[in-house]
Amino acid sequence: MPDLPAVAPGPLAVAFTTALHRAGLPVTPERAAGLTRALQLVPPVDRGALYWACRVSLVTDRAQLPVFDAVFSAVFDGLLDPADSRGDPTAPPSIGSEPRTGPSAADDRPAREGPAAASGVGTSSSGNGAEGEREVLLAAASAEERLHTTSFADLTAEELESVRHLVRRLVIGTPERSSRRTRPSRRAGARLDLRRTVRTAQRTGGDPVRLVHARRRTQPRRLVLLCDVSGSMEPYTRVYLTLLQGAVAGARAEAFVFATRLTRLTRQLAIRNADQALARAGATASDWAGGTRLAEGIGRFVADHGRRGLARGAVVVVLSDGWARDDPEDVAEAMRRLRRLAHRIVWVNPRKAAPGFAPLAGGMAAALPYCDALVSGHSLTALDEVVAAVREDILG
Amino acid sequence: MAMSAARAGAEAEVRTRLPDVAALAAALDGVDYLADPGLATAMFLAVRLPQPLLLEGEPGVGKTEAAKALARALDTPLFRLQCFEGIDAAEALYEWNHPRQLLGIRLAEARGAALDEDDLFGPDYLLRRPLLQAIEHAGPRPAVLLLDEIDRADAEFEAFTFEVLAEAAVTVPELGTIRAAHPPIVVLTSNRTRDLHDALTRRCLYHWIDYPTPERVAEIVRRRVPGSEEPLAVAAATAVTRLRSLDLVKPPGIAEVIDWVAALGVLGLFELDAAAVEASWGSVLKNRDDHELARTRGAAWLAGA
Repeated sequence: MPDLPAVAPGPLAVAFTTALHRAGLPVTPERAAGLTRALQLVPPVDRGALYWACRVSLVTDRAQLPVFDAVFSAVFDGLLDPADSRGDPTAPPSIGSEPRTGPSAADDRPAREGPAAASGVGTSSSGNGAEGEREVLLAAASAEERLHTTSFADLTAEELESVRHLVRRLVIGTPERSSRRTRPSRRAGARLDLRRTVRTAQRTGGDPVRLVHARRRTQPRRLVLLCDVSGSMEPYTRVYLTLLQGAVAGARAEAFVFATRLTRLTRQLAIRNADQALARAGATASDWAGGTRLAEGIGRFVADHGRRGLARGAVVVVLSDGWARDDPEDVAEAMRRLRRLAHRIVWVNPRKAAPGFAPLAGGMAAALPYCDALVSGHSLTALDEVVAAVREDILG
Repeated sequence: MAMSAARAGAEAEVRTRLPDVAALAAALDGVDYLADPGLATAMFLAVRLPQPLLLEGEPGVGKTEAAKALARALDTPLFRLQCFEGIDAAEALYEWNHPRQLLGIRLAEARGAALDEDDLFGPDYLLRRPLLQAIEHAGPRPAVLLLDEIDRADAEFEAFTFEVLAEAAVTVPELGTIRAAHPPIVVLTSNRTRDLHDALTRRCLYHWIDYPTPERVAEIVRRRVPGSEEPLAVAAATAVTRLRSLDLVKPPGIAEVIDWVAALGVLGLFELDAAAVEASWGSVLKNRDDHELARTRGAAWLAGA
C-alpha cells in the first residue's frame, strides 16, 4: 500500500469536486457531501478504493468518464505511488488520454460567441463585402419575402439573425401513434374498460348501469434530428442548430450532431435561451466544420442510441449534404440498419435546391433508397417542407 | 436530503453482515455472482447509504443479475418492477381489487350479512404491486427493489416513484399511511433511451458496468453452467470477445456465452472447433446480418484455429 497523505474525507471531497467542477463536470455540493459519506464507509486504502468511491459518488453519466479519469489522474497521481496502479485493469487512464475538457477549450469556437459576433460566422464569404449591392436588392424585394426564399448560404449576417428568430418559432410536430395508455370513451365498439365499469357500478349498488369503454390514447412519435456540422454544411449549420434547439425545447426531440464523430446535444439544447443553448452545444461537440463521416455518424447513432430504443418507431431527420469521406457501401449499411428501426426517415439536403441537382454524391446516392422524403430545407420557405415531411404531409 | 431521513444509514444487522466492500464481494461470490471492485463498491455504498444505485451498461453485462445477486447475498426478497411506457401507479404501487369487492358485496347480500365500507377497503382487497411490497417488507433486513429499465417509463412516473421512495411511505386514502420499517435498497437500471431527469441522477449513485475480460466471463460461465469444463468456457469466452471486435448489430453479451456453452453441452460437444461453431452459431448470433458477417470470417476463425 502506498503512503497516502492523511487527508480527512471532507476536505478531500471538496477539493476534488472543485477540480471536477472546473473541468466542466456538473458536480454539486450535494455530491461532495455524498462523496464524504462514501469515503467514510470505504476508506481510501489504495488508489482503486479511492477511485471507485469517487467515481460511483460523483459521475452521473458514462460520457463524463474521460474527463473524470483525467481529473482524477491529475489530482491524485502526483500523490500516489504509480507502481500501485500498474497493471490494474480498473485503473483510470493517465492524463491527456482524451483531451476533452470543459468549456474553456471551446472559447474560440463560433457557437460560443455572442449573437452579434456569432452571426458573422459561416457567412463571411458572402457577408460584409457585398453590402452595398445588397441594399439595392433589398429595396427591390420586400425584406420579409427575401428572407423567406433566399438560401441560408446567401444571407448577410443580420439577415441570418432575423431568420434564426423566425426559425425559432417553427413548430415541428410528428405523426401520432397509439400508446399503451387508454382513456375512457363513450363510443361503444371500443374496448370495454372492465375495471372502470365495475368501479362506477359501485355507485349504483353493484349493478353496472353504464358501460365504460376504453380507447387507446395517441401520442406523438419521437423525433430524432441528426445534423451534419462538417465544413461543407457550414453556411447552414447555424440555422439548423436553431431548428434543432426549437425542436428539443418544443417537441421534446432528441438532437445529435456529427462531422467526424457523433455528439448528443439534447441536453445542451434543452434550455430555452437559444444563444446560451448553442454556446453550450458548441462547447460539447468539438469537431465543428471538420470532414464528414456519414456512415460513422449514422452507424454510431444506431449502435449506441437508436437500437436501445431511441429510434424505434421514431421519425428520424438527417440534415446533411451527403458529401462524405466514407465508402458509400458503409453509408448504405448504416442507413439500412436505421431504416429497420425508424418509422420514417426524412433527409434534408440544402444542395437539393441547386439547379440541376441530382443525388449523385456518393453518400447521398447510397442513402436515398432508405429515405421516405428528400427535401431541401435551404431557405425559410423550404423549411416548411421539412415540417410537412416530418408530419407525413408529403411523401417521396 | 429527503432520502437520508428515510434510510438513515443501514441498520445494525446489515452493518454487521457487510462491514466493508470485501465482505460484500465475498457474499456476492458466495451466491455465484462475480463483482469487480467497482461494482462491489457501488453496491456496498447503495446498501449502506440511503441512496439508490443507477446501473448502466451494454445489454447483457448483468445489470439485472447484479440486483438479484445482491438480494441473495443479503438473504432478502427481491421486488422487481419492469418499467414500460405508460406504466402508472396502479401497476407500480397498489390497486383496489374491484371485482373482488363486487363479489364481496354480492356475497354479503346473498347471506343477508351487514357490510361496512371499511370491510371492502381493507387490506384483503388491496392488490399490492412491487413498490408497495418492497416498502411493506417486514424485515429483518431491507428488501431489494429493482426498477428495471427506468428509462422506458415516462418522466412523470420517474418523479412519482422517487417521491414514494424518498418518503419511504405510501398513503392509501382508505387505509392510511403505510410507512416502511425497513426502507428498501433500490437498484435502477437504464439503457438511456431518454435522458434521465437531473433530479434522479442527482440522488443516485452511478455505475457503468463494462464488458468483463474473457477470463472473468469464463469464470462466470463455469459457475452458471453446471458441469461445464474450464477449457470450453475459456474458449467460448475468448471466441465471443473475438466476435465483439466485429461491427455487429447485436454484440453477444455474457448471457450469450452462457447459452452457448449450455447449448454445446446439450449437443455433447466439449471442444470448440470449427465443427462445433458451425453447429451452434444460433446460440451466439441472433441477427442475420451478424451471421453473415461472422460467416465471412469463418467458423475456424471464431474457434481460434
